[in-house]
Amino acid sequence: TPTRPVDKEKTETELTQNIKKATSAEETAPKQKHVRKCIVYTWDYHSSLPVWNGLRTQPILADEVQTFKALIVVHKLLQEGHPVTLKEAHAQTGWVETCGRTVGDAGKGYGSLIKAYTSFILSKLRFHRHHPEFNGLFEYEEYISLKNIDDPNEGYETITDLMTLQDQIDSFQKLIFAAFRGSANNECRISALVPLVKESFGIYKFITSMLRAMHRRTDAEDAMSPLRERYNAQHFNLRRFYYECSNLKYLTGLINVPKLGQEPPNLIDSGEAPEIP
Amino acid sequence: TKLPTALRAAKNYTKGYTDTQSKVREATSNDAWGPSGTQMNEIAQLTYNQNDFVEVMETMDKRLNDKGKNWRHVFKALTLLDYCLHAGSENVVIYFKDNIYIVKTLKEFVYVDEAGKDVGANVRQKAKDITNLLQDEDRLRNERRSRGDMRDRMLGNLA
Repeated sequence: TPTRPVDKEKTETELTQNIKKATSAEETAPKQKHVRKCIVYTWDYHSSLPVWNGLRTQPILADEVQTFKALIVVHKLLQEGHPVTLKEAHAQTGWVETCGRTVGDAGKGYGSLIKAYTSFILSKLRFHRHHPEFNGLFEYEEYISLKNIDDPNEGYETITDLMTLQDQIDSFQKLIFAAFRGSANNECRISALVPLVKESFGIYKFITSMLRAMHRRTDAEDAMSPLRERYNAQHFNLRRFYYECSNLKYLTGLINVPKLGQEPPNLIDSGEAPEIP
Repeated sequence: TKLPTALRAAKNYTKGYTDTQSKVREATSNDAWGPSGTQMNEIAQLTYNQNDFVEVMETMDKRLNDKGKNWRHVFKALTLLDYCLHAGSENVVIYFKDNIYIVKTLKEFVYVDEAGKDVGANVRQKAKDITNLLQDEDRLRNERRSRGDMRDRMLGNLA
């Protein structure tokens, strides 16, 4: 039981309301106060099951905006919920797939975004299943201290998997930007960029420190060169992504968008780690 | 105007709040000013007493989870928390490390007031600062120690 003063019965009744309101049909961002209650619930009770049940039983699949908002809620829950959320999410992949298959289309253009979002979330879950040592936001400074190993082979594979996830974030964010409607209110679409900025930066910082550690530990600089090339390419993509985000007032009001340097950080010298936003 | 204060006093009376609970409610009210250093110091000292500590935490928790319209409750509760992490008992640190997600999830707090002003920004910044502090063991130790030293020196000067 939580050390906070809580009333379980009341919280569970409210949770249903919170989920309902977070996934309402209005074309806005899912209200953070409702998303927050879902996240806090998982920490208070070390369980995400009532949240998943709530999401599954809401009639959201017939409406594209509701489905999209539900996926944003899921993404934030995976990132910031109690670690048990990631474990319990593996049993929910069927429902996530259903979200991608039954796209109700009212002509607002969310269909392709929903498909892309579900496949991103499924990849993220696959990653976490293979690498359970990571949390939902990749909030670690040092790979070596995280894994307590220095096996370059395993490190190589982990980096490759992280880079694949990073590439998926990049194509998804491009799709979101391409779906913006000129004069219209894009708040709902932009709100999906918030967890993507956070996640991509967590991955970026992690890959940076991990590649540095690996360069310190191996003499095989040649063997590492494909990774360095891919790292540099991702740096430039990410830099552009953050630059475009920095022009969205709604988004910069909510989070600090990181600003990456012109050139990728040097991986061979142990220079300064990139700043945390 | 004196009205909100009078109302709060009435509410404290009818709901049967203890002195400690009333003090925390007072320090984290919807008034446009405060909390004052004196108020915060008094509450921080109360956290050294086990019963008062529980009441301070409970009242602060309610304020931190208040709705957007009461953003001042949230903001001032964070201000008070920041103070207590520096000058309050070690139990405050333990409690909020345990429940860090309460503060962490306020980093995206949103509230736009009637005038269209984004007043949530104050809450977001404070939530970020406190989250960073709670996650930086060394900094927290140092800041608590230097605060204690200063207090000792000041009390020494008074004696």
